[in-house]
Amino acid sequence: MSDIALSRPVPVTTEPPFARYALIGLAVVFVALFLFAPLVTVFAEALAEGWRGVVAALSLPDAQAAIRMTLTIAAIAVPLNAVFGLAAAWAIAKFDFRGKAFLITLIDLPFSVSPVVAGLMLVLLFGANSLLGAWLIANDMRIVFAFPGILLATLFVTFPFVARELIPVMIEQGRAEEEAALTLGASGWRTFFTVTLPNIRWALLYGVLLCNARAMGEFGAVAVVSGKIRGQTATMPTMVEMFYNEYLSVAAFTLAAVLAMLALLTLLLKSLLEWRHADLLAATRRH
Amino acid sequence: MRAGLLRSPSPLPGFGLSFGIMMTMLSIVVLLPIAALLGRGLMIGPADLWGMINARRIWSALTLSFRAALIASLFNLVFGLLLAWVLVRYRFWGRRFIDAAVDLPFALPTAVAGIALTALYAPNGVFGQALAPLGFKVAYTELGIWVALVFVGLPFVVRTVQPVIEELEPEVEEVSATLGARRACTLRRVVLPTLAPALLTGFALALARSVGEYGSVIFIAGNIPNLTEIAPLLIVIRLEEYNYDAAAAIGIAMLVISFAMLLAINLIQIWSRRRIGLV
Amino acid sequence: MNIEIEELAKEFGTTRALHPVSLSIPSGALVALLGPSGSGKTTLLRILGGLEFPTSGRVLFGGQDATGLSVQKRRAGFVFQSYALFRHMTVFENIAYGLRARPRKERPTEAEIGRRVNRLLDLIQLPDIGARYPNQLSGGQRQRVALARALAIEPRMLLLDEPFGALDAKVRKELRQGLREIHDRTGLSTVFVTHDQEEAMELADLVVVMSMGRIEQVGKPAEIRANPATDFVRTFTAA
Repeated sequence: MSDIALSRPVPVTTEPPFARYALIGLAVVFVALFLFAPLVTVFAEALAEGWRGVVAALSLPDAQAAIRMTLTIAAIAVPLNAVFGLAAAWAIAKFDFRGKAFLITLIDLPFSVSPVVAGLMLVLLFGANSLLGAWLIANDMRIVFAFPGILLATLFVTFPFVARELIPVMIEQGRAEEEAALTLGASGWRTFFTVTLPNIRWALLYGVLLCNARAMGEFGAVAVVSGKIRGQTATMPTMVEMFYNEYLSVAAFTLAAVLAMLALLTLLLKSLLEWRHADLLAATRRH
Repeated sequence: MRAGLLRSPSPLPGFGLSFGIMMTMLSIVVLLPIAALLGRGLMIGPADLWGMINARRIWSALTLSFRAALIASLFNLVFGLLLAWVLVRYRFWGRRFIDAAVDLPFALPTAVAGIALTALYAPNGVFGQALAPLGFKVAYTELGIWVALVFVGLPFVVRTVQPVIEELEPEVEEVSATLGARRACTLRRVVLPTLAPALLTGFALALARSVGEYGSVIFIAGNIPNLTEIAPLLIVIRLEEYNYDAAAAIGIAMLVISFAMLLAINLIQIWSRRRIGLV
Repeated sequence: MNIEIEELAKEFGTTRALHPVSLSIPSGALVALLGPSGSGKTTLLRILGGLEFPTSGRVLFGGQDATGLSVQKRRAGFVFQSYALFRHMTVFENIAYGLRARPRKERPTEAEIGRRVNRLLDLIQLPDIGARYPNQLSGGQRQRVALARALAIEPRMLLLDEPFGALDAKVRKELRQGLREIHDRTGLSTVFVTHDQEEAMELADLVVVMSMGRIEQVGKPAEIRANPATDFVRTFTAA
């Protein structure tokens, strides 16, 4: 018996132990150097002058205005995207119509457009030197270098998030349950709220979470469209840039640390969702 | 509209409403702005467009953006595969933690990543000081751009390859062993080709994202014209000079590159689905 | 080659998949491991193939201890229930795989590989499908390709896990005959796992009835039908 244990070969579908440890070690070192080190740096630099520096940075009026701006933008952009995502998923998953594949490609398009190009598009569309922009300004409606432009830029870059999570889940679930509800006499809205929504609620939450993270963190598109007017159109990420370029390192990293904490919160919630409701998100993760 | 668009009638209500909301928002948020850019390009005309792009500074910026994205994505291809394999196949302390951390670049705002990397790799930063004696200068050189793009593109390869590794049938690797193949041969000739479509897709996604990346790069790049000035930054500079036509020209060039890559991703997926029934 | 199994046991954690079992398989026999799921028949087959290693006991191939022999060196042709064909390779490449995986000095020339693959394609009566991919084949064709791939390495024995499990009834009948013919032509000791008593009785020279990790009875089909050794064998084979 003991000689069998000694001569026992390694299992067939894995690598020899030394290779395993080497690969795990390499992966851990890579993640530590490329992911953890920058994250730790954010907090270390924010605390370079102790907590007093952090408190002072957070009480700057510009910083507070930027935080308010970012929260307001997210509070409007995320629900709008959720509505779009639900509508798109309902139309695409529950009905059979021409040009569906093309439509899905269009919805995914913002993922492959540079945020700066997205901002540029909005400037060209609504800026003072375009026909539409000139007319809007004449009627006292500013879009570029103002709140609506920032909102549109944020909507553009976050556009696919919710729809992308919902469409595969709703396609996988089919439409038998909705049809059953209708035969039982439920109205369309009642069917949606009592049958469809409960089935997709975790996928919806997942999409909203990712959408929110991007909405609060978007930089390139917003930087181009907002004009970065402090106290008025500066968001947290653009304010980070301005503080940084003025060598206000602690202020820049303090605001960055607030954003990093939001990112960590997002990751935590996302991981919880994935562990708890892995089955309901399965279709999403497979794409 | 209903009757015209639908291929088959459906008992479910709400097609008109949901389709209407979808198309309205898609038009305002995505299609109209893209049309504005392309329309601007048409007004300028192809000859002038080409004239504006065909300048040394712009070529340098475009090739830099593409080259750095390519290098960073190749790097991510290797390490993304490594991470995905380790996370799916091995059980070790801290695995779930690392799995969750892979998404950090998705969640962390790019500007935050940008200033953090700059602080790390600047000559007086922790990594900068460690690398200086070895002769490496990372911040304010092209190397710094690579580092930033590796950070930004990391999750793409991991997250596209991971589910495919999870669904590999163990029998396929077992049968390879019963046919006499050693582990390395099984990995090279059986596992790797099966993962190839997902690897390519992840690579293309990382590339598409990296080419257009702005926030994480501009802080660490140094932004010296012709050397470390990326294409998106050049757009921002042109806009600040109110030179909208020049900005539009660069923007159209980048859009063309993005569309070409999007097309490539779709072709890879169609090709792999048709041949081996995998996504 | 004759196969001796001596007091072989297998535990997965605290569950016993196989109580110590002993079995002797004469050279050139066609043997069925018959039993319901969880009877330990697949575990036994996988131990023979070198895919699992026993907790205790020995396996002898042709009188030589093969218990600790690595799966690569065993040269046991293994056919999985799912066939496990390589989807990214053509049928030709699939069958040639084992020959190409050999170390350089033992590897046949390309011309020789081509000859052998074509001979195997003839043997499974599918001479024209070398250039196709597995997802272009029917279930029955896939099973025969998996068989040819296992035969390509000139195995010392053939091990098949539910070889007809994924097929419909009509194809199943045809392929049973096919396996019998290939077995008779190659003369290889062949062990297949099945839960279908009719299949075992019709095809095998020797039937090994298993239940809950134990061997209940070993015998020729007629013997088992005539004299079931236990109540379990009686009920399981009465269908």
